[in-house]
Amino acid sequence: MQNPSQPTKPSSIALWKWAAIIILVYVFIAGWFVPLKPGIIEASPDRTIAGDQLILAVKGYNSHFMKDPDQIRAWMRLKGDTVIKALHVEVVDDRHLRASFYIPSVFPIKQDAYPLTLILDHPTDGSSVLPNAVFVTPAAVEDPAEMGLWTRDKIDHIHKLEGFRYPFRNILAETIRNTYFHVPMWFTMIILFGISAWYSLKYYRQGLIIDDNISTAFVKVGLVFGMLGLVTGMLWAKNTWNAYWSWDVKQNMSAIALLIYSALMVLRSSIEDDMQKARLSAGYNMFAFVLLIPLLFIIPRMTDSLHPGNGGNPAMGGEDLDNTMRMVFYPAVIGWVLLGIWISQLVYRVDILKRNQ
Amino acid sequence: MGRIWNLVSTEARIELRERFALAGILLYVLSSSFIVFSIWRQLPAREWGLTFWVIFLFSSLMAVLKTFGRESEGRYFYYYTLYHPLELFAAKVLYNAVLLIFIFFSLWFVLFVMAGNHMVRGWWFLVTGLIASVGLSILLTLISSIAIKTQQNASMTAILALPLMIPILINLLRLTSYSLGTTPDQNPWNEVTLLASIVSLVTAMSLWLFPYLWRS
Repeated sequence: MQNPSQPTKPSSIALWKWAAIIILVYVFIAGWFVPLKPGIIEASPDRTIAGDQLILAVKGYNSHFMKDPDQIRAWMRLKGDTVIKALHVEVVDDRHLRASFYIPSVFPIKQDAYPLTLILDHPTDGSSVLPNAVFVTPAAVEDPAEMGLWTRDKIDHIHKLEGFRYPFRNILAETIRNTYFHVPMWFTMIILFGISAWYSLKYYRQGLIIDDNISTAFVKVGLVFGMLGLVTGMLWAKNTWNAYWSWDVKQNMSAIALLIYSALMVLRSSIEDDMQKARLSAGYNMFAFVLLIPLLFIIPRMTDSLHPGNGGNPAMGGEDLDNTMRMVFYPAVIGWVLLGIWISQLVYRVDILKRNQ
Repeated sequence: MGRIWNLVSTEARIELRERFALAGILLYVLSSSFIVFSIWRQLPAREWGLTFWVIFLFSSLMAVLKTFGRESEGRYFYYYTLYHPLELFAAKVLYNAVLLIFIFFSLWFVLFVMAGNHMVRGWWFLVTGLIASVGLSILLTLISSIAIKTQQNASMTAILALPLMIPILINLLRLTSYSLGTTPDQNPWNEVTLLASIVSLVTAMSLWLFPYLWRS
């Protein structure tokens, strides 16, 4: 932080600010305009009886079925290598095809219902998967001779789609791009609150009023980022969980975190004396930051939750964050954090100017 | 320890001299239970637990509100020369904890009489109540020492304390549903560990920050 009494040239923007601008421009362009890989939106019917013919109407996304329609292959997978290959695939248009299967009347495992995963392979589109596409009810009469059908075919010579494209995930679909906006908001909020707590600690040690001003600026901007995180999360939840607010533990805890920090701002506005204000808010700020850790990182992990990373759901990484997405996601985190620090610096300078007026 | 005890007993004597203070808390508990009960008419086990903690939360806020408001500024200046801030803090926490335990038992009794007994594991509820009283007493004492320095003491205590109480409250609710038998969960130790670690976190932060916040 520079001393505001020294006039700074407006043209001298530090290197890290240029970096923030360039990274965020890249994130917005790549995040909005890179297309998704082809995928399967839905397949109908979604349930059938074993030991019967199944004609599956498949709806593709970003797909090019009309190109090489003879080379499209389809499988129904029970588990691992236990698959049934489509007898016939008939292409309707680029987005629609019909695949006919014969579902054997006997299954290698015993269950009340068998979820089958649909797998498509196309020379240019690559392979696409629809998990639990069809639920199969066991047949009344089982023919043990049909057991061999499960191991007759194998999924082999799968095509891979080359190029810079985001993965298609069911339910998520296009909203997968929100990863570059929703997740970095929380990273930024936590980091800004952390910096703020650090300056509160500095105030606690040295008692310089300037540290209190810096700390407050970071809390203000951190609150804005937290609210943006909540809003982007709610929009995402509307599209995937079908409600803006479903009282999920992660939603609740982050809302409470924002309440705690809003209370800090109320506390500040209710004290007249500057030194008193600085001391009390430094104390409360450090207290709040320490309590934020169980609130945001421990309690949600111990509760059932819809949110990734909680209640047994996989966190980031794994299948949802592939290498293409990493190339945008990591810069996005850095870019948003730098932007947050930059805005906080400006807020702090404006506060100082207002006070000196 | 003897010095802390002195402070606690002074506190208790002041409190007992003003009879309305303790009776006021009791009345608060009674009337809120009446309101809740006349709305619900009957309390099944799950609602019993929720009602209990809602009333407990607000009663404890009210009871702790006057922690630092009772004595005059001059008295505190005098205390400041006599006692270490931590001694004062320990005394206030002890006294508040006793108050909260008092609220806990009287509320339990009132709801027991009104809505019947739903406890499956009464001992666990007792343990929950004791941890809750100690933990919330520490948190509320620290917060009211901050709030007393502002213009609107009462509302400020609520604004600052309520969101901070939620991590503790969530675990209290889980332990309560375990003691009421309304959860299939058979292992409460996760919650106890989490609750204990949150309370110790609050304690460590309070012990560190109170001397600093108090100095003015």
